[in-house]
Amino acid sequence: MTPKNNIVIGIIVALVVIASYNMDADPVKFFEGLPNLGIILEEVILVEPKYIPTALWAMFETIQMAFIGTAVGVAISLPLSMLAARNLNSKFVYAPIRALLAAMRTFPSILWALLFVIMVGSGSFAGILAIIMYTIGFIAKLQYETIETIDSDPMDAVDSIGVSKSQLIRYVVIPESASHLLSQILYMFDYNVRQTSILGLVGAGGIGFYIINYIKFFEYGKAAIFMLIVLITVLVIDWASVKIRDKFIIKSQHGMEISSN
Amino acid sequence: MKQIQMNKNPSFSLISTKKIIQMNNISTSYDSKSFALKGINMSIERGTNYAVVGQSGSGKSTLLKLMNGMMIPSNGTIKIDYVTPKMNDKKFKKMMHTIGYIPQNLGLVKNITVLENILIGALPRIGKISSLFKKFPKEELDEAKRILNLVGLGNKESRKAYMLSGGEKRRVAIARALMQKPTILLADEIVSELDHVTAREIMNLIADAQKTMNLTAIMVHHDMQLALEYADRVAVIKEGEKVLEIGVEGDTIVDFQTGDMDIEEIMETYADDSKK
Repeated sequence: MTPKNNIVIGIIVALVVIASYNMDADPVKFFEGLPNLGIILEEVILVEPKYIPTALWAMFETIQMAFIGTAVGVAISLPLSMLAARNLNSKFVYAPIRALLAAMRTFPSILWALLFVIMVGSGSFAGILAIIMYTIGFIAKLQYETIETIDSDPMDAVDSIGVSKSQLIRYVVIPESASHLLSQILYMFDYNVRQTSILGLVGAGGIGFYIINYIKFFEYGKAAIFMLIVLITVLVIDWASVKIRDKFIIKSQHGMEISSN
Repeated sequence: MKQIQMNKNPSFSLISTKKIIQMNNISTSYDSKSFALKGINMSIERGTNYAVVGQSGSGKSTLLKLMNGMMIPSNGTIKIDYVTPKMNDKKFKKMMHTIGYIPQNLGLVKNITVLENILIGALPRIGKISSLFKKFPKEELDEAKRILNLVGLGNKESRKAYMLSGGEKRRVAIARALMQKPTILLADEIVSELDHVTAREIMNLIADAQKTMNLTAIMVHHDMQLALEYADRVAVIKEGEKVLEIGVEGDTIVDFQTGDMDIEEIMETYADDSKK
């Protein structure tokens, strides 16, 4: 550890302390509040199991919303990301597309949801639209960054044959980046399920609608059951996507390593 | 010193003397990706098997990139069949379809099959829409399979490219170039990392294709002996300048700059170059 590093760490610690004071963030309050969690736990134990089917149904609706939102969002983002990749387009094409995508990313999904609730009324459709918008802005960025990192050797070699841009995309860009793109789509779905779970807060459907209403009426136990279902679902999806990734993606990447002679 | 075997095309001097590649006083400026060339003059006749020999960093790869329009010289003129090579130029783009270029790293698409890699060479001839669905006319598929057999990969058409050995990958790259129905074949150190036997197999493959298709082949090597064995003409590039151009006709070697020269002498002078 060099003296220079120590100074940097010292400055960061000092900034955290000063900012905490400013924010009224007091660790003591946190520990004093811990027993309140016990009240919720007690209520959870007392909740009748009859709420579980409702929670599961609400969760199913949430997954449906996330699924539609992810699928449609990816379908729109993929061509946009091809246009936003610097190694495929001139500045006049990629710069405006990137600006558009950045603008879409600026709003968190909950703000998109608010906007669509005003437009199409409350319910799952508003939630789906919000997920689509957020997905486009978010995943397109991941995708064009992936496309920009693909090996330039096959790109140059195939380009020198004089093929069209669509052929270059079909025969080089997509095969060379497919495993990464698939991995990102799985991640996006996982992320969207979690996001959709809170869109109910603004009336855009899904399980969050129940959670926020139970909390409003101090029914913490029921809210906790619903949150537990969300947690289990997210864990299951996470586990499943790891399995899918292992099966399809790790294998092909391993193959690429073997190939490098 | 090994005996040099002459592996020549005897009819070479009878073929029309039309120049297919003309370079006049070509210079390129240095950037991090390429090496500078200084005042290169070169004229290559149709149907020639031409070799460029030089050390790593001498600028020989740059020379090939100038010929397929991937790079533009900072000075001088270059004409391929009387057209100036420039990648985004419409007139030249049509010519690019029939210029087979095999970069040093081959540029194969790793995650598609051998057959698909080869069919890439036919893409300019295929309708855009059907090519997007990987639909190829029967005659193109037959041609691809014929070339696959020609390069000795008939049984590996559905293998993914990343699964192949180094020698096999080179065969795929050659097959892709041949699928273009090329008039010019540019190959950058295609055998430099291979063992002797495989290197000669690959060189024979190209030499055969060159003869049967009346190709103009321009191949970059760093092994002088290999170049003399296969080429009709050999240019030696040193630090961006062409220091020697020799013609190999039958068993004699002609130096176009200083007169006749002895093979032994050339081998000794440039032996160092062949070992990086």
